[in-house]
Amino acid sequence: MDSNLIEVKNLKKYYNSRIGPVKAVDNVNLEIKKGETFGIVGESGCGKTTLMKSILQLIKPTSGEIIFEEIDICQIDKKELRRLRKIMGFVSQDPHASLNPRMTVFDTLSRPLKIHKITRSKEDTIIKIVTLLKEMGLQTEHLIRFPHELSGGQKQRIGIARALAVHPEIIFLDEPTSALDVSVQTKILKLLEKAKKDFDLTYFYISHNINLIKVISDRIGVMYLGKIVEIGRTDIIYNNPKHPYTKGLFKSIPNPDPDKKIEKIYLKGEVPSPVNTPTGCNFRRRCDHASKICEEEEPELKKLDDGREVACHLY
Amino acid sequence: MEELLRISELKLNFNTEEGLVEALDGVNLSIKKGFFNGLIGETGCGKSITGLSILKLLDNNAIIEKGEILYNNKNLLGFSEKRMQKEIRGNEIAMIFQDAGSSLNPVFTVQKQLEEAVKMYRKASKKEYREIVIEELKKVSLPDVESLLKKYPHQLSGGMKQRVMIAMMLACKPALLIADEPTTALDVSVQAQFIQVLKNLKERFNMTFLYITHDLAVVNEICDFVSVMYAGRIVEDVSVRELFKNPLHPYTIKLVNSVLTAETRIEDLEEIPGSVPRLINPPKGCRFHPRCDEAMEICQEKIPELIEVNNNHFVACHNRLRGDDFGQ
Ligand SMILES: Nc1ncnc2c1ncn2[C@@H]1O[C@H](COP(=O)(O)OP(=O)(O)OP(=O)(O)O)[C@@H](O)[C@H]1O
Ligand SMILES: Nc1ncnc2c1ncn2[C@@H]1O[C@H](COP(=O)(O)OP(=O)(O)OP(=O)(O)O)[C@@H](O)[C@H]1O
Ligand code: SF4
Ligand SMILES: [Mg+2]
Ligand SMILES: [Mg+2]
Repeated sequence: MDSNLIEVKNLKKYYNSRIGPVKAVDNVNLEIKKGETFGIVGESGCGKTTLMKSILQLIKPTSGEIIFEEIDICQIDKKELRRLRKIMGFVSQDPHASLNPRMTVFDTLSRPLKIHKITRSKEDTIIKIVTLLKEMGLQTEHLIRFPHELSGGQKQRIGIARALAVHPEIIFLDEPTSALDVSVQTKILKLLEKAKKDFDLTYFYISHNINLIKVISDRIGVMYLGKIVEIGRTDIIYNNPKHPYTKGLFKSIPNPDPDKKIEKIYLKGEVPSPVNTPTGCNFRRRCDHASKICEEEEPELKKLDDGREVACHLY
Repeated sequence: MEELLRISELKLNFNTEEGLVEALDGVNLSIKKGFFNGLIGETGCGKSITGLSILKLLDNNAIIEKGEILYNNKNLLGFSEKRMQKEIRGNEIAMIFQDAGSSLNPVFTVQKQLEEAVKMYRKASKKEYREIVIEELKKVSLPDVESLLKKYPHQLSGGMKQRVMIAMMLACKPALLIADEPTTALDVSVQAQFIQVLKNLKERFNMTFLYITHDLAVVNEICDFVSVMYAGRIVEDVSVRELFKNPLHPYTIKLVNSVLTAETRIEDLEEIPGSVPRLINPPKGCRFHPRCDEAMEICQEKIPELIEVNNNHFVACHNRLRGDDFGQ
């Protein structure tokens, strides 16, 4: 599990806006190792989806490199890109928008099978799709439905099925189970885990459900305002978060225990805008430990003894 | 406790090529005034459809077979489209849709959409509209409100779209807000702030909520009462505390036990055995019987009624009729 499948180097994605560039992803460095599940957590709007889409070349990064199979995929041509689309699967955060409203479930699922020549005959295609649907807790009657005739969780599972069907090497999942109840979510997590073992898959997984990320991922990256502020093995970070943002985030996890309700809001203060980012440390205006140096100098990721990296002047 | 809205015996089918989808099969739901009423249940069990029925925003292939939706003692099912639009939608009852992002109009800026929402319930000058809109956006902890106003939906992150949608609905100050999975795209810290905002609104304006979600942790944080739905029927009606301390319906028990915590290991993840029921020719009798450990012969034939077994604790299960053999 130690070789790198993808290396992200100095990745930036700035969107243009009238009041200046929106620094959605601002100098991110990370590695995705072959066979691992890499989890990303962070505040809404911090740039997770932008990071994912930039790696996938679904949006063009402003600068930086993404090394896959020893080449920088930011530079490849259209034909190569098409090959990449099969190798790198993608499950969008918005299942409704990612499904074509005029295509039935069957058409949505059979198209990629045809394009990538996964199945040889119509019978093959049908068998494959029906099996996949069953594994996801869906039924054949859903095949002829259009997206608006499905519930939120049914649409979401169609998105996952579409990604799994073509046997990619890595799947990028953006909040893939947010619309599922715990039991069906478990079913999907098990299915993903099985596919990982069977096909030696790698996952890049975004979720707001921190407990879920804890359960499924080997390593996590914590993002804040376009930057990675803490990254390392999940168990290490979870048991002892170091960055003040990570600490606040973990304390905000709600509990399904009626005797333990969240009494306090840990992350206060206004979320800064990705246009006028503060000088020095991005987080300093919301941080209880901010000192002079935090105003002046931007903290860089630093490796601690336990192997994790943190970007904070306290360490 | 005063009831703001009551759904009785609502039966709703969808006509499809494959056959009749029996989506809601006699739903009984009481929404208590001034409280957070939770609605939970398996994906596809009919939660969104229940919310949409209240506002009569259903697909063309939907057929309401029978039932009543009483709001202030008037049956909404008897209202014309025009009357729903004029008297109910927006000012009395509003809904945050599950596909929040897709329900924003892609060709209008955030400002324009929010102003339209505000116009529905208030007359004001152009400048005032702008101020009201900014006020509402600040409440849902969005950064950089001024520049946000000029953005189009595709320029927002998932959680931002969801919050714009929430702001839009809150701006209407409806008596009843139906919130369908309103926080799925929000991180835990924004979610905690958002829950606080809703609680304040409830206190200040005595608003009532129907809160649809899968997240039992959120249910614990926000809901006062919870209705549990399974395959188109309400199977349990209970206070939030009892939901976790003393769930009674076999489905609820399994649901509460399968919650994932930080201590869960991937090897011991457990789902509720058996498959999600079909809604075309659904199981007879109790729709849960093929997956139920406690199923008896009667369960395959007779639909169990929703009966009060403890104080304000209602359950629909043939095995819970006798007052002696459950919990405590
Ligand atoms: N096309 C665009 N034009 C301008 N700004 C954009 C565009 N897309 C995203 N942004 C901005 O970039 C920032 C990061 O957005 P992104 O969607 O990556 O966040 P995210 O971390 O995925 O959030 P969420 O958890 O809410 O989905 C946000 O401030 C957003 O408004
Ligand atoms: N227009 C339609 N035609 C046929 N069936 C439909 C239609 N709309 C919804 N359904 C079916 O009705 C059932 C209830 O749907 P609903 O959207 O209410 O589920 P839900 O409980 O909200 O699920 P989720 O948690 O996944 O959002 C689903 O099984 C769905 O497939
Ligand atoms: S009625 Fe019968 S089948 Fe249904 S939940 Fe109760 S015991 Fe199980
Ligand atoms: Mg996102
Ligand atoms: Mg729904």
